[in-house]
Amino acid sequence: MSAPQIGVSTRRVGGRERVTGRQRFVGDVRLDNLLHVRLVTLDCARARIVAIDTTDAERVAGVRAVLTAADLPDPMPRFGPVYADRPVLAVGETRFHGEPVAAVAAETEEAAEEAAALVRVTVEELPAVLTVERALDPDAPLVQDPCLRKGPLAQTNTLREWHFGWGDVDAASAPCVVENTYTFPMVTHFAIEPHVFLASADHDGVTVWSAIQHPYLLQSTIATLLGLPIAKVRVIAPDPGGAFGGKQHAKFEPLVAFLALRTGRPCRLALTLAQTFQAVRRTAYRVRMRTGFAADGTIRFQDVVTDGLLGAYADIGVRVISKSTYLMCGPYRVPDARVHVRALLSHTPPATAFRGFGTPQVAWAVESQMDEAARRLGIDRLAIRLRNLAHRGEEVVRGDKPADGDWHEAVHKAAEAIGWGNPLPPGRGRGIGVAIKSSATTGASYAIVRLHMDGSATVMAGTSDMGQGARTVLAQIAANELGLTTDAVQVVMGDTGVAPFDLQTSASRSTVFMGTAVAEACRDVKRQLAGMATRAFGADDVGVGNGTVAVEGRTLSFPDLLVAGFAGVRGEVIGVGSRRGEADTAHPLGGAPSFYEFNCTAVEVEVDRETGELLIVKHVSVADVGKALNPAHVEAQDEGAAIMGLGHTLMEHLIFDEHGRIVNLGALDYRIPTTKDLPLELHSLLVENEDGPGPYGAKGAGEGGLFAVSPAVAAAVTEATGAVIRELPLTAERVWRALRTEG
Amino acid sequence: MRPFSYARPASLGETFDLLDSAGPGEIRPLVGGTDLIVGLQSGRIRPDVVVDLKHLADLPAGIEQVDGRLRISAPTSLTDIIGDARIRTWFPALAEAASTVGSVQIRNRASLTGNICNASPAFDTGPALLVHDAVVLLSSRDGDRRVPVADFVLGPRRTDLRAGEIATAVELPVPETPLRASFARLTRRRGVDLATLSLCCVVGPRRTRFAFGAVAPRPFVVDDDSGVLADPSSSPEDRDEVLRAMTAQASPITDVRGGADYRQAMLLVLGRRALAAARSRPVQSQPDGAR
Ligand SMILES: Cc1cc2nc3c(=O)[nH]c(=O)nc-3n(C[C@H](O)[C@H](O)[C@H](O)COP(=O)(O)OP(=O)(O)OC[C@H]3O[C@@H](n4cnc5c(N)ncnc54)[C@H](O)[C@@H]3O)c2cc1C
Repeated sequence: MSAPQIGVSTRRVGGRERVTGRQRFVGDVRLDNLLHVRLVTLDCARARIVAIDTTDAERVAGVRAVLTAADLPDPMPRFGPVYADRPVLAVGETRFHGEPVAAVAAETEEAAEEAAALVRVTVEELPAVLTVERALDPDAPLVQDPCLRKGPLAQTNTLREWHFGWGDVDAASAPCVVENTYTFPMVTHFAIEPHVFLASADHDGVTVWSAIQHPYLLQSTIATLLGLPIAKVRVIAPDPGGAFGGKQHAKFEPLVAFLALRTGRPCRLALTLAQTFQAVRRTAYRVRMRTGFAADGTIRFQDVVTDGLLGAYADIGVRVISKSTYLMCGPYRVPDARVHVRALLSHTPPATAFRGFGTPQVAWAVESQMDEAARRLGIDRLAIRLRNLAHRGEEVVRGDKPADGDWHEAVHKAAEAIGWGNPLPPGRGRGIGVAIKSSATTGASYAIVRLHMDGSATVMAGTSDMGQGARTVLAQIAANELGLTTDAVQVVMGDTGVAPFDLQTSASRSTVFMGTAVAEACRDVKRQLAGMATRAFGADDVGVGNGTVAVEGRTLSFPDLLVAGFAGVRGEVIGVGSRRGEADTAHPLGGAPSFYEFNCTAVEVEVDRETGELLIVKHVSVADVGKALNPAHVEAQDEGAAIMGLGHTLMEHLIFDEHGRIVNLGALDYRIPTTKDLPLELHSLLVENEDGPGPYGAKGAGEGGLFAVSPAVAAAVTEATGAVIRELPLTAERVWRALRTEG
Repeated sequence: MRPFSYARPASLGETFDLLDSAGPGEIRPLVGGTDLIVGLQSGRIRPDVVVDLKHLADLPAGIEQVDGRLRISAPTSLTDIIGDARIRTWFPALAEAASTVGSVQIRNRASLTGNICNASPAFDTGPALLVHDAVVLLSSRDGDRRVPVADFVLGPRRTDLRAGEIATAVELPVPETPLRASFARLTRRRGVDLATLSLCCVVGPRRTRFAFGAVAPRPFVVDDDSGVLADPSSSPEDRDEVLRAMTAQASPITDVRGGADYRQAMLLVLGRRALAAARSRPVQSQPDGAR
């Protein structure tokens, strides 16, 4: 029996390979006889496709197929995680800049490129819907064909709407009412690894390679589109090189699969960074918020209208909007709430999940309102939060899961670390923000644990390790349960043909869901070992511990028992475990959150009043993680999230021109933070009360660091300068403009 | 990317042969490739031949002093330029400007001639080259000519480079009296960014010269001959008035990097700061270890 493997910072499995360039990414997969695919796209967001002439393209030497909508089944096959609305290729009309109207498969990349440029598309550009305001305009063109949609909203650009709330806001009154509009722009994920898709078809089905977060959903999507049994579709998902929500759902895998079927050859499509900007992006929000406060800062009511701007297809963005706005009141006790939410379609790239799943957008508004109320009422900004923040057991949504952590502890920790209340040098300000995210609601994870003759173990789990460290933490859990060192555990993932079903790698759910499934599979192994000991030794008094078995006073190691139990024939013990979150159809989200991810972020910011430039002097992020199974990994995730949060706070946004084209398309003019843009000091602190639903009391982690960065930084700017800004990002130029109107 | 062929001549003579055999626009010199590759990939530049200037026996990388001038040969990397003690002493603003280009990796590849010949309105060494009166040495089969950088760069992506010619060096006159110079730059983030604007300031005994980048089709120079900016006893108000008149000559545009009004306003802010930095700079006339 070895030392505990939990709560220790074991080295990352695969970490060395990742940083030395030895990891085999999907882009490194080489198949024989491969064809290269290039997309044919238009120079605007929305255009009617009048005609496509492929004659010249087909003449290019090495071209094997030029696929247009006419070559695909009629009606056009469509897919999507919530609505099957995304066509394999644009048909009739394009709906966002970068949406392909045709695709070329050729023997070489060069031939594919040349041919793609020779596909002649006759189009008529049409006006595009690019903003919340335009999407709500009754005179605006419809983004989606109303025939494909159901219900009264089909004649509008509102895909869905929700009404959340409790109490009676109309009857509520408050001496201080703060009413503002906040906007949060479209942002791209900017994973270092671009999307790469391969597909190969043979008599026995189709294999698809994609660095995808949800291989099993992709598997069923492809099966449905191609009319194949799930068993005949295999998805191989090499560990992604960063995903952040941008690699959750199918994009061009269906197209590449159709090309593979048509050509009878394996096909490969690799997107450029610019194309990944056009593939999916973060959901943009406009929040109009009216908040009532008592004179002492107690929240009386929240009255909110939130519009989330989706792209042309719903992807999972529609769920981002509903799930995040379900917690539109933040981690606070609110007696009366009314939240009207709309998910709007636009002629922009499909909006999808993005680390935080809408929480940063929500927190931007909620927390900025708290700051404004504090300033108006002359209350300390820390005090107003503590006054309203739910204590453990108090509801944040009437009738739903109450606060499941000691959030006050986290806030106190952050305040102390940032030096809240200490005198500030001139030109500086501080800000503090809190937020909660509802974690995974429903969903299932299955795991298989195979205990080998020598006592080492193989874990088979369908989780994707995209850099968050799933391989490591699952190995730690199995090692701990089986009394091994983490090195003696092999985690097999990323292949639907090998690992059992896992719904998805998202919502910070893997440690809780898959971790529990792995722990349970280990317990199944141990139950079988107990039976084996009983049979082998004819003993009734058997106790299986972590790594050892006690048989009538004797202690055996697992290998000793296996040798005795299996004798010369050998074998292995196969344990199965699962964790299911069942659907609750009465719940607005289809199920209650399994835990809340809570974060408190505090910053100290220096403002250059003349240029508007911000310097983050100090940044503290406190995460309530229940139990850090691997503290170094949790902190690294939290730091990464904090820096990513600084990206959308300080510099990131997709800018569109009037044709719906992204102006800052690529690394040159789309800015993400570099190492030189990091805070001078960055601290990640953890709250560990072992009060989570996961193994050893763990909760999910890794998204929280993003949640409250924007409002904290904006409030710091206000403290330093007086300027209040309600749009992101807080670029130097925007701060400068705000300071000028400030006087 | 359109297919092209790659040539690696071994001498200037071979280079000129290649240049003479190609039509206008069909051939492109390559040094670091940090601009050229981007242009090739986007399809903005579509040559038939790319000719690599890094392997010419008679044009090795290096910096030498000739007749009161410092000559930086075309293949010299920005890293080597920044590390040169003579550059740091005599042309501190150039060293400062060059050290802001891209990142360490970019500067290890990128050349000064490439920065000039690419002729971006925002090229970072532009203002420094202008205040230091830099000259481009242009060579062809027919011989050499020298053109001041200020005249060589005509506008966005346009230079005075003629068919059959390449830039073989940049020359900087070694100042007789030591210069007090400084460089300032505004970017959207601290690491690896193109300039929203950049400027250089040189304070002489009487004349103060500014050069501005990214606020006009090409970098340009403005002089203060009134002596107000150089005068240690002038008032901030008087200096501001002069600076305002100087920065008013800029014609910035609005693009993704910044609004025209912001650029215009920042010119004054950074101008003040650069002036203060240059004025407070101790003057050193001889590079450490150089004669
Ligand atoms: C990530 C990144 C960051 C960057 N950041 C900056 C920055 O901060 N500031 C900045 O100013 N620039 C920046 N650049 C642009 C570029 O690095 C510089 O302009 C660099 O100095 C170009 O030098 P090079 O040797 O790489 O030129 P190349 O790419 O080799 O050539 C550039 C152009 O000049 C022509 N050319 C080159 N040499 C000659 C010659 N001897 N005679 C005639 N024509 C010639 C080429 O044909 C080409 O058109 C950046 C580029 C990248 C990729």
